[in-house]
Amino acid sequence: MIHDFLGADLTDLSWLISTRELSSAEAVTAALERLRGVEPELNAFITVLDEQAHAAAKAADDEIARGQRRGPLHGVPITIKDMFATAGVRTTGASKILLDWVPDFDAHVVERLHTAGAIIIGKTNLDEFGHGGTSTLSHFGPVHNPWNTERIAGGSSGGSAAAVAARIGPLSYGTETGSSVRRPASYCGVVGFKPTFGIISRYGSFRGAWSQDHVGIFARSVKDIALGLDATAGYDGRDPSSVQQDSPSYASHLDGNIKGLRVAVPRPFLEGTDSAVKEAFDAALKTLAEAGCVIEDLDIPELSYAAMTSMMTSAAESAGINRRWFRERHQDFVPHVARGLAFGMTITASEYLTVQRARHRIRQALRQAYEKIDLIVSPTTPRVAPPISEGVKGNGDDTRHVSYNHSNLLRFPSMLGLPGCSVPCGMSPDKMPMGMQLIGAWFADQTVLNTALAYQSRTDWHRQKPAVDR
Amino acid sequence: MSEKNRFAHRLALLGAVEFSASDLELITSEIAEMDRILADLEDFAQDTPWVSLQAQPIEKKLGS
Repeated sequence: MIHDFLGADLTDLSWLISTRELSSAEAVTAALERLRGVEPELNAFITVLDEQAHAAAKAADDEIARGQRRGPLHGVPITIKDMFATAGVRTTGASKILLDWVPDFDAHVVERLHTAGAIIIGKTNLDEFGHGGTSTLSHFGPVHNPWNTERIAGGSSGGSAAAVAARIGPLSYGTETGSSVRRPASYCGVVGFKPTFGIISRYGSFRGAWSQDHVGIFARSVKDIALGLDATAGYDGRDPSSVQQDSPSYASHLDGNIKGLRVAVPRPFLEGTDSAVKEAFDAALKTLAEAGCVIEDLDIPELSYAAMTSMMTSAAESAGINRRWFRERHQDFVPHVARGLAFGMTITASEYLTVQRARHRIRQALRQAYEKIDLIVSPTTPRVAPPISEGVKGNGDDTRHVSYNHSNLLRFPSMLGLPGCSVPCGMSPDKMPMGMQLIGAWFADQTVLNTALAYQSRTDWHRQKPAVDR
Repeated sequence: MSEKNRFAHRLALLGAVEFSASDLELITSEIAEMDRILADLEDFAQDTPWVSLQAQPIEKKLGS
């Protein structure tokens, strides 16, 4: 009986707790039991916070009983990527270097979650410091996909995506530098959203690349994403990229009305997409058209430089961020990550500036495109999650060539700071989820969420349960 | 500059950090790719400026 609500979304779970039909203590106990039950198969967690979570749940129940409910996250069990500093709780970044680091401060996101009364039950596994797209480059071993544990969960926020897919809490927070929220969301069959650059402060989270890092959110429903965004968005002077903004109210402005929205498909970049993914995406486009969107094809040739520009930016900035550790403890990095940092260390300042000029040209091309359209949509990934045995090459990324390959579509939103959301849009013949990404113009986060909601309200892909849940 | 010197110049930027022969081989193959990528990006970025940090007006907090 107590486990019946594990599949409930945040909105329903929150209602049960607010009406005291379910206590936060019961919800947290069930979520932790669920975590313990599936963790041997998934390896999605680095640290589990039993004691702290039970204590926080009791405090939440007491507050709610006194009529002091803080909001929709109060008493709800959630998870966060082990990229965020947590006061008194070890924070590793999935690295041997910080195996026993216990910060004395909370990251901005953690502060906000505590204020909202959310109960953090665990810190999820990832590629070391966010450097990867598979969640296999972790000191703690690879994350396994809940739909097929022989497959990757995608990275770098793979543990967060796997946790939400496996019904370990309705919400998880991750980070994205290249595609680290949207890709694992697509591979694990959940919603993954990253807002416009600067909407959520990155204070207290490890950096992958200063100019491309974002905080992102995983959930099973778009409404939950909006609630999670409301809880964490807002100006924070401790992050120099944080933007001034009104009090966030994305959830209350969700209406799913997308009539007349101009949606562009970068068709030339879809060459090479698997037939099952293409089929699911075409069906999703039809659904958007039925909801009132105007669909058109679009070619932005400058995008064919996006993947290499993003990769070079990341490589140089991550080398700058990790310079001291690289020099003093390079043998403690995961070998693939160490080699990537070495590559970044060899990029000179003038070369980095060449890359930034290329980035600006791509930005200008997108700016012009968004004068005539509202959204760019595409399959999130050109194929479903590959087997773990294929290693880092399994994703099939091409960040080395000027071409119309799909990697450009995955990388341009984070490189340019555009809001993006991946929603489940189908199931492959081998029962793996597929995703569609919706990319809006700068600060059109609400449009992205409204469109994702409109799509989700007409489909039920997000209600499918993974193999580990059956 | 010969290819050998070019790699040596790049690898010198790693400072005293040492890698195994197999790791070095992987790193130099990446460096070889990078030279080609940079040539592509150089042409592409030819007439585009670098956008440095933009200054914003300061909001005065008088009397605080």
